[in-house]
Amino acid sequence: MSETIIKLENLTKKFGKFTAVNNINLEVRRGEIIGLVGPNGAGKTTTIKMIAKILRPNSGRILIRTNHGDLEDLQKVSATVTQMGFLIDIPEFYKMTAYQLLKYFAKLQNYPKNKINERIDWLLAFFKLTEWKHENVKKFSKGMKQKVGLIQAIIHDPEIIILDEPQTGLDPLARVDIRNGIKALQSQGKTIFVASHMLYEISEICDKIAMINRGAIIGFDTVENLASALKTSEVIFEVLESITPHELEPLLSRLTEKLNPYLDKDLDPSVSKIPIEYYPEEKELKIFYDGNHKSKGEILKILIKEFESDFTVVSYTQEKTSQLERVYTQMVKDNEPEPNIQDVKIKEKKYRLRKGQLKGEIKK
Amino acid sequence: MRINQELLIGLKPIYNTITFEIKKQRKKFFAFLVLIIMVSIAIAVITGFVLPDTKLDFFFTSLFFIIFLEDFAACLFFSAIICSEFDKKTGYIVFPKINKYKLILGKYLGNLILVITLITSYYIILGLLGLFYYGGETSIRLFYSYLIALLYLSTLSSFVTFFSSFLKSVNGTIIITFILLLLGFLMIDQIIALIFAEKFEPLYSLAFLGNLIVNILADPFPNPRYVKVPFDPMNPDAGSMVQWLTPSIGVGITMLILFTVLFFTLAALLFKRRQL
Repeated sequence: MSETIIKLENLTKKFGKFTAVNNINLEVRRGEIIGLVGPNGAGKTTTIKMIAKILRPNSGRILIRTNHGDLEDLQKVSATVTQMGFLIDIPEFYKMTAYQLLKYFAKLQNYPKNKINERIDWLLAFFKLTEWKHENVKKFSKGMKQKVGLIQAIIHDPEIIILDEPQTGLDPLARVDIRNGIKALQSQGKTIFVASHMLYEISEICDKIAMINRGAIIGFDTVENLASALKTSEVIFEVLESITPHELEPLLSRLTEKLNPYLDKDLDPSVSKIPIEYYPEEKELKIFYDGNHKSKGEILKILIKEFESDFTVVSYTQEKTSQLERVYTQMVKDNEPEPNIQDVKIKEKKYRLRKGQLKGEIKK
Repeated sequence: MRINQELLIGLKPIYNTITFEIKKQRKKFFAFLVLIIMVSIAIAVITGFVLPDTKLDFFFTSLFFIIFLEDFAACLFFSAIICSEFDKKTGYIVFPKINKYKLILGKYLGNLILVITLITSYYIILGLLGLFYYGGETSIRLFYSYLIALLYLSTLSSFVTFFSSFLKSVNGTIIITFILLLLGFLMIDQIIALIFAEKFEPLYSLAFLGNLIVNILADPFPNPRYVKVPFDPMNPDAGSMVQWLTPSIGVGITMLILFTVLFFTLAALLFKRRQL
C-alpha cells in the first residue's frame, strides 16, 4: 500500500456560529485520485482553502509529507507548499496574456528558469490553447479560463494536485478536455484531490470518494464499496431484440422467479417499485440485485443460459453515477439530524396561532 | 553564506512580483507619462509668454501640478493592491503560490517604482525648462521639494493601501480616496479654519501636508504660515478667514512619516484578518 501523502486530522472551521467543516478526518495516499463530493455549501471549498493555507482551521491539523519524507503540520512547513498545485473556484486572472501569467506563476513556484517556456508551450498545446498564448485572458471563454486554471495548477509539475469544481459551468467538450487532462495526470502517477458536485465526472476519474455533507465526511471508500454498503446495486443488460409488450409481462415474471435469490429484497420504492425493469427504446433490462459481486455473475449466467430463446444479451454495464447518486442520497438521509422536538413544538404553536386555533384554547 | 542564499531565495518572489506588476501596469504608466509631457509642453508654452521673475517662482507655479499628479497616480496605482485579490478573486490563484505579504509588498514596490519614475520625470523636465529659460545652476530647493514629493507619495500610497485593505472593490477605493484627497480634506480644513482660525493647524490633513512640496521653494519660508483672507475685500470690518499655507518643515516631515507608518500598520492588520 502506498504511503499517506496528505492527512486531515479532526479538521474544523467555523465562521462565527456556523460550522463549515466539522471534525474531518481523511487520508490521501500517493498516486490516488480522491473525489470530495457534496452539495453546495457542504464544506468542500472550505476544506480545500484550508489545505491551500488560504483559511486557517479553528482546530485540527493538516499533515503533508515533505521532501524529508515525514508527515509535517502544514502550518509549520514553508509558507507556500511547492509540491502542491491548486485550482480553487472559478479562476480569475490578472488582465495579462496567458504566457505572461503562466511564466509569472512558474517563477513563483521556483520552476527551473530555462525550462519554463518549454513547459508552457507543452501545456498550452496539450489543452489546445497554443494559438491563444499571446492573447489577453480577458478575451478567453469560461472553458478556456478553466483550462488556464488547470495549467497554472500544474505548471510547476507538482506531486499533489488539488482541484475545486474543475468542470463546473463548462460545455461538454470542455468538460471532456478537462477530464482527459486529469486522466493524463493520473497516468503520470500524480496524487489528485478533486472536489465536485458533478457525480458523473467524479465517478469517471476517482479511485475513492469522500462524501461530505454539513461539513462532515459521511462516507469514504470506492464507489463499489460504498454501493455494497447499501446492500443494493443495479446492473443494466442490453439485449439485441426488442421485447414486445405482450411478451414482456410473462417474461418479467419468469425473470423474477429465476433471479429471485439474487434480487434486492428491500428495494427502496423511491428507486423502483419492481426489481426488474425494461426500457423498450434503449432495449435495456435494468436489474436491481443484492449488491453482491457473485450475484452479478450468477444473474449474467442465468440470462445467457436460461433465456437464450427470449433474448440475446449483447452487453452489460453498471452505471457508477446512478449508484453514486443513490449512495449519496441514502447517506445524506441517514445523516440528517433528528428534528428538535422543542423546535417542532414552537413551529406547531406558531402555525396554530396563525390559524387562530390557539385563541380559543387560551380563552378557555 | 547560507543565510545570504536563503535571504535571496526569500526575496525572489518579491522581485518576480515587482517585475510582473510593472509589466501589468505599463499602459497606465505610459498614459500618465503622456499626461506629464502634455502638461510640460503647456507649461513651456505659457512660460514663453509670461515668464515668472525668478527661477524659483517658475518652479513654484509649475509644481502645483505635482500635488494633483501624485493624488491622482496614488489613487489609480495603489487602490488595487489588496482589494483586487479579494474583489476579483485572483487571490485564489496567487495566495497558494506566494506568501501573501510578499505578494502585496511586491505589488506595492512595483507600483511605487512606476510612480516615482513619473514624479522624477516631471522634476527633470521642470529642471531642464528652468535651465532653458533662466540658465545657471538649478536650486538645491528643487531637490528638497523632490524629496518631500517622494515622502508625500509614500504617505499617499499608505493611505490608499489602507483603504484597499478593507474596501470591497477597486473602483470604490479609487473613488473614495480620490474624493477624500481632492475634496474631503480641503472641505474639512475650511470648516476647521472657520471654527478655530489660526489656533488649530490642520496637521491631520494630507492635502495641507502636501503643500510643503511647493512651499519649501519659497524664499523666505512663509512666516506666519497662514494668511487671513477677508470675507469682503472692500469692507475690512466684515471679518476674515484663516487659510493655512504650509506646515513647518520639521513638523510636516514628521507628520508625513507618522501617517505612513500608521496607515501601513493599519493596512497590515486589516489584511491579516481579511479572508477570501
